[in-house]
Amino acid sequence: MTFFAEIWELLSSAKYMSMLFTGLGTTLVVSLFSAILGLFLGTLVALVAICPDSPLMKLPKIICKVYVTVIRGTPMALQLFIMMYAIFAIRGFPQEITAIIAFGINSGAYVSESIRGGILSVDIGQTEAGRALGLPYGVTLMKIVIPQAVKNVIPAIGNELIALIKETSIVSMIGMYDLTQAAKVIGAGNNMASYIVPMSVAACFYLAIVYTLSFGIKGIEKRLRAGDRR
Amino acid sequence: MESKKIESTSEVLFSIKDLHKSFGNHEVLGGIDLDIHNGDQIAIIGPSGCGKSTFLRCINCMEDPTSGSIIFEGVDIADTSIDINVHRENIGMVFQQFNLFNNKTVIENIMLAPVYVRTKKLRRSSKSGDAPKLTKADIKKEERERAMALLRRIGLEDKADVYPSTLSGGQKQRVAIVRALAMNPKVILFDEPTSALDPEMVGEVLDLMKELAKEGMTMVIVTHEMGFAREVADRILFIDEGKIKEQGTPEDVFDHPKDPRLQEFLSKVL
Repeated sequence: MTFFAEIWELLSSAKYMSMLFTGLGTTLVVSLFSAILGLFLGTLVALVAICPDSPLMKLPKIICKVYVTVIRGTPMALQLFIMMYAIFAIRGFPQEITAIIAFGINSGAYVSESIRGGILSVDIGQTEAGRALGLPYGVTLMKIVIPQAVKNVIPAIGNELIALIKETSIVSMIGMYDLTQAAKVIGAGNNMASYIVPMSVAACFYLAIVYTLSFGIKGIEKRLRAGDRR
Repeated sequence: MESKKIESTSEVLFSIKDLHKSFGNHEVLGGIDLDIHNGDQIAIIGPSGCGKSTFLRCINCMEDPTSGSIIFEGVDIADTSIDINVHRENIGMVFQQFNLFNNKTVIENIMLAPVYVRTKKLRRSSKSGDAPKLTKADIKKEERERAMALLRRIGLEDKADVYPSTLSGGQKQRVAIVRALAMNPKVILFDEPTSALDPEMVGEVLDLMKELAKEGMTMVIVTHEMGFAREVADRILFIDEGKIKEQGTPEDVFDHPKDPRLQEFLSKVL
């Protein structure tokens, strides 16, 4: 009973709510911009990875391979620390931007594999038919293969975005004031003196974002699939 | 069938010399020489795994030959430094699995490549200063009309705006054939065009191919349909172990086979 009473106390407190919403703002900003950066990087890396082998593409391919291997093979928290305390250890450099870069780079590695998988899942016959008609590789890719790959990729990208939003809570480890950090601060405060209540409320916030997002993704998926069955 | 052209009288379209193809250490084609003339209808037969499909796919460099030359319109297209796309515009191909573009409607499937190629040429000519007479919209309109005419020819004009997933196998393959025709190719390569079809749909596809043959379209057909090969082709190639083991008129090959492997093969399939 006290639990629900305390939840109500928190929800009705303007101070606590404004703390939570400030944190939510940081979480959303970091998530959104690192998602954009991640999608951009991921697409770029996937396109390089599926390009046919040629001497010109050799170095970019190696770079992309190393990038994906290193980023997927090391912990996100460590990557963030390295960004924050080594690469962007510049006084006054905005923490948000460092976080966006770190999460964007991390997300890009996963997204690139999803996109690569999606492109490879399109039957090779589609490419062959385009090429046999005299369409260049790039045109075949853009007009035939990628539109079909998008449908296959959407669920995996959705997964990645959901994981990304939740992973941004790691920024609380470097003291950034995101949703998780806000809950932590409230819980450690003198008045509340309880972690379970603010943490539960913060969890509901995350849940609400993720649920809305997955709802949106389902919708996009449905619309794309409707296009080819008529 | 009786009045087949004598091959040496017409112009040579392809001159294939000593064509080799290996996948890793495995040699699939061990030196093939062949001249294809304008108006030839060549059927390629042979046991599965003999390299007949690989050979066909080498003709338009879907598979890059390991060595040898393929002279098409005076250019060696086996040379990887040339722009193969320009030449592929003149070499149609029809696949066993149809390979219609799933994300395009039937009519878009047919129009896509001609519109692309003509628009590209238009851009080039406008760059060189000649005033272009057509806009991209004109080209699209023209190609849509041509595509419609082709669909009418195969009786599928009512399917113009549906997606390929709703067509039957036979309809898909006929659309794939007119898609190749829309480019006005000099030759069409058929890679086992009826092997993936239900038996009752084989006829409609073969009938369309017979029509093309009658019109004098140059065709190279890899097939298991011996009756069709006999009726349509003016030359039969028997490929085994990556080499042309025997070639000749259908009468020679089917009625008087000399090669023991061909005799064995025919005794199994006929």
